[in-house]
Order: sequence, then structure tokens, then C-alpha cells
Amino acid sequence: MTFVDATLAAGYTVSDFLLLAAAGFTVLAIGMLYRAVKGPTMQDRVLAVNVLGTNTVVILAILAAALSEPTFLDIALVYALLNFLMAIAISKFTVERGGVL
Amino acid sequence: MTGAIALAPSAPVQVPVVAQITAIEASLLAFVVLTALATALARDVLAAVIVFGAYSLGMAALYTFYRAPDVALTEAAISAGVTTVLLLLTLAKTTRIDHDVAFESVNLPAVGAVGILFGGLLLTMGDIPAVGSPDAPVWSNPEVSQWYLSESYAQTGVENTVMAVLAAFRGFDTFGEAVVVFAGGIAALIVLHREVFA
Amino acid sequence: MSDVRPGDETADDDADDVPPHRARDRSGRLDSERRQGTPYTESQVIMPTVKIVAPFAFTYGLFITFHGAGSPGGGFQGGAIMAAVVFMIAFAFGIEATREWLANTVVVALAVGGALAFAGIGLLPVARGGAFLQYDLLPIPVKYGLESVEVFGIAAIVSGVLMGLFFLLANGFDSDGSGFGDGGPVDEDADELAGESGSPEADRTAAADGGER
Repeated sequence: MTFVDATLAAGYTVSDFLLLAAAGFTVLAIGMLYRAVKGPTMQDRVLAVNVLGTNTVVILAILAAALSEPTFLDIALVYALLNFLMAIAISKFTVERGGVL
Repeated sequence: MTGAIALAPSAPVQVPVVAQITAIEASLLAFVVLTALATALARDVLAAVIVFGAYSLGMAALYTFYRAPDVALTEAAISAGVTTVLLLLTLAKTTRIDHDVAFESVNLPAVGAVGILFGGLLLTMGDIPAVGSPDAPVWSNPEVSQWYLSESYAQTGVENTVMAVLAAFRGFDTFGEAVVVFAGGIAALIVLHREVFA
Repeated sequence: MSDVRPGDETADDDADDVPPHRARDRSGRLDSERRQGTPYTESQVIMPTVKIVAPFAFTYGLFITFHGAGSPGGGFQGGAIMAAVVFMIAFAFGIEATREWLANTVVVALAVGGALAFAGIGLLPVARGGAFLQYDLLPIPVKYGLESVEVFGIAAIVSGVLMGLFFLLANGFDSDGSGFGDGGPVDEDADELAGESGSPEADRTAAADGGER
């Protein structure tokens, strides 16, 4: 019986609440998707995809805790490191549409 | 509604599949479908590339939820680190046409054709066992899948069963796969009329 | 996106206020921006950040590769992360500078060496009278046999090929086709081309080479 299996309220465990929190973050990500799709400028999209990446790192970390699988944190770490690459790649691309790459 | 946020995968299936979908699954699936649609419909190629990056974020979280960390890690490393960058580099070689509209106009005959294909695929969904169902071949046919789970550590000394299957039990397949990656690099050299990589 | 670029004008009427080394680069583009006469310098934000992040990311790629037996991951994922670190450095310090730093020999040696290492580890048991990749015939424990396939085989192939693809795509298509056969360095070909022919690709390559740093 680990911590995430402990009952909090009305028969729901900590794991259930963590999963619900992850679902909430996913709904936030869907809201952020509007900015990524609509734009209107490329800078908006860069920012949106950066926020989405950070959001995903949080979701992955919560999932690792909720499923009590500490090794799943590896995925969150990889995303945290590589999301930065995605952001600088897109933001440098917006200068002269890749002319300075 | 208790089933809505229950941790389903290991529990036996008593209720219909739709009732068993959890909140996190539903929101992640909605996110993935929306990003996929936006990628397909975006008129500006750069916007499509960016939204495609967001799509892979959702897929990685989904794989993680279904406890496939190796697949999720591959999705993370390849999509966030590699695909976006390579697509951007390719885009840098193109010129941009100014678009007044944000979305591609929908071609109805194409949608019809895709719809028929999708409907055909959807017909097979009824025969696919639910996630965690005891009727799934993984569980109902234990002499194959369970054998790997129980024997891979004893025979290879590797805790990660996925890696044991990849590198040992299906090692020759993996060799072919690695050669395919290598051949992909060579093919890119030929297509781009180059002799050296760097 | 039609509203983002205030100086968004077509092709050739903005060629007067650009730094000379970028002029050719911009002339063929529909979306070139009007810069204020200053050449682009590498970002002062991105460079120090990459200096800090890259060692950690590379170490993590190595960890994913070497620890694939005990946790999620393996050669493919780790190799992709290590290649992504090279992309990161290339975006921060310029692709041409990275191309010089990371010689073609290294990239090719990683890809070819990985394929040969995988084949070698696989064929060694065959030479001893066993099957392909029969790890218990190797002189090392079975677990290290698997690990060596992941580390020396798959990770090397994946990282080498991905880095190669990156530099290849950054170079673009060699429109002349003279990359084949003549044995001369490709960059020189591109420079000659830019001098004598007016094809857009050649111009782009030459301008990119000259204007990178």
C-alpha cells in the first residue's frame, strides 16, 4: 500500500485525484492549442508550443506519480530537455524564414 | 460515474468500453484528435509543423498512460528532438506563399474517400478487445506473451523486457531495422546528390 | 500570418539596405524582411543557455543508452537524444561552425561503425558454431552482450545517421549533381557555381556558406 493508493475521500484514492489533475492539465493544453493553431503571429505559436511542452512535462510527471512508476519520469525529463530545442529551432526559423539557420 | 476516473487497465471488464474511458484518456484523446485535424488542415506549412509537435506531446502522454514508456520515450526523443528540426530545415529551403486563410479548404470527394476507408477500419473495432480485457490475446494466450514476461529476465539478465525482446529474442529483426536506418541515411545522400554528410 | 511582417515585400525591391553577404540570399525570397542594415549575429540568449543545457542533455542521452536494460529507453532513444544535442549546438552556434567542428569522418564513422559493430557482435557466435546473435556464446555475460548491441550498434547508427541527415538537409539539394564522382569538396562546387551560374539553389547555398557566422 503506497501513498498513491491511500483513500482520500468517498472511496477515491490519491491516484484518482492525480489522474483527474492530469486530465485538467490536458484540458488546459487543449485551450493552449487554440493559440498554436490561430496564431496570428509565429511568435504566438512558438510561445504556445513552449507552454504546451511545459504542460506535457507536468502531465507526464503527474502520470508517473499516479501510476506509481518512477521510471516514467525519464520521459518527462527528456521532454523538458528537448522542448527547449524545439523552441529555439522554431524561434530561429522565424528570423528571415530560416535564412539565418 | 465511479467508473469514469477509476484506474481501469488491470480491472476486469464488466461495463461497456465507452463507459470505462477515464477523464485523462478522454481529454488526451481529444487533444490528439484536435492536433491531428489542425495539422492536416493548416494552410501554412510552418503552422502545421508546430501543431504536429504539439500532437506528439499528446501521443507521448497517451503512451505513458497506457504504460508503454519505451514507446513514449521514442516519441519524445524523435518528435521533439528530431522531426521538428528536420522539417524546419527542409522548410528553410522553400519560399513562402502568402495565405489569406488559416485553413485549407476541404475537398469533399477526398473526405468521402477517407471517410469510406475510415468507416471500413471502424468496422473492425468491434473485434478488438478492450484495454485490459481478459479476453485480449495477451492474456487469453499466455504461453506466448507471458512466456516473455517470465523468461526474459532469467534468460538475458535484462530487467527491461522490451529491450530483451528487441535485442535478444527478436535480435535479427532489430539488425534489419538498424540497417534500414543506415540505408535511410544513404538514400538521403543519393536523393540530395551529395557525397558527404557534413 | 499576413500581418506579421511589416516590411513584407516581394522579391527585388528591398535589396538596397541589406548587408552585402546576405543580399543574394534574400533576393529570391518572397518573404524577406527589411532588416535595419545590421547583419544577424548569433543570439546572446540562446548561446549561453545551450552551453548550460547541452552537457546535461548529452549526459542524459548517454544514461538512456547505457541504462536501457534497467529502465525505459535503449540505444534508439539515447542515440536520438545525443543527435538532438548536436542539433541544439548547431542552432545556437551556427550550422556551418558545427559542421566544421564535427567532421564528416565522425558522422560516417558513427553510422558505419555502428552497423559493423552490430553485424560483428551478431556474427561472432556464428563463427563459434552458434546462431546469429546467440549471446551465450560471446565471451561476456548475456546482459552485456545485449548492452553492447544497444550501445555500440543501435545508438551509434541512429545518432550518426540523424546527425548526417541534419547536415545534409541544411546543405540542401546539389542542383548541379556534381557532388558525385569528381571527388572535390561540395562547398567549393557550390562556390564555383554561384560565380558562374545564376540558378537559385546555387545562390542560396553560397550565400548561406558565406553569411553563416
